[in-house]
Amino acid sequence: AVPNMYVCEYLFVNQNVSSHSNSAIESAIGGNAYQHSKVNQWTTSVVEQTLSQLTKLGKPFKYIVTCVIMQKNGAGLHTASSCFWDNTSDGNCTVRWENKTMYCIVSAFGLAI
Amino acid sequence: MSDIAKDKAARLLKKRGSVSSLSSHEVRAKEIIGKNKDSMSTVSYMDEPGHEIPRLAIQLENTYQLGPAKRFPVVTVNNILKDVLTNYLQEEKYEAELCRQMTKTISEVIKARVKDLMIPRYKIIVIVHIGQLNEQSMRIGSRCIWDPASDTFSSYAFKNTSLFGLANVYAVYFE
Repeated sequence: AVPNMYVCEYLFVNQNVSSHSNSAIESAIGGNAYQHSKVNQWTTSVVEQTLSQLTKLGKPFKYIVTCVIMQKNGAGLHTASSCFWDNTSDGNCTVRWENKTMYCIVSAFGLAI
Repeated sequence: MSDIAKDKAARLLKKRGSVSSLSSHEVRAKEIIGKNKDSMSTVSYMDEPGHEIPRLAIQLENTYQLGPAKRFPVVTVNNILKDVLTNYLQEEKYEAELCRQMTKTISEVIKARVKDLMIPRYKIIVIVHIGQLNEQSMRIGSRCIWDPASDTFSSYAFKNTSLFGLANVYAVYFE
């Protein structure tokens, strides 16, 4: 007989993604002012830290993590995303972080295998 | 036999439907979680954690397929992105309300056109950024954990005198 599995553990939302993203942002750029020379390395480190914490969870998920870092200059930015996936098991989480000199937006998408 | 199962799986996936960001009632939870003395962060989810009742896993039949039957056509999608972005943004000037609607519309249009390509068993994520050009500096980056043999992405950046637009499409194979 086919076993009935309750998918609780496979739901993306239960992976507490926001705290991982947040801690990655804080450790990479928390307390820093915007610096053009460093921003490349900051985006890389935020994304890599978030990804490595997500993979440590060991869930059967594929992840996509996007990071936008923008200097605060009065300019506007709009972001939208549209996804074609399985609503019951896939999800996303967006964290918007700002300090006095810059904005940082991290979006993490998780797709069940 | 595997064709029938493949079709069933594809239809099931399609029936799951797509969440439209145009109807923003889908973004349910919005909490301010951190406020240091010099930084602030906000989080938004698709679904609130712990909110959903555990659902029964739907067992799909084996397709005995090792890889995608039809690969994702990156070049075609690049052209779609170029087409859509230039058509929608060529003449526009940056305006907050217009661009807010524009990002949502463009991401829906791109998703619909990529879905029309009918690539079976691929999940699609479309991300669109539109921003003002104001002598500020910005960096957009992304990393993915997936199977590089079957999953891929496509990207196009558009710029005119007052705004820039960036569209990314990620295609992930559903095994």
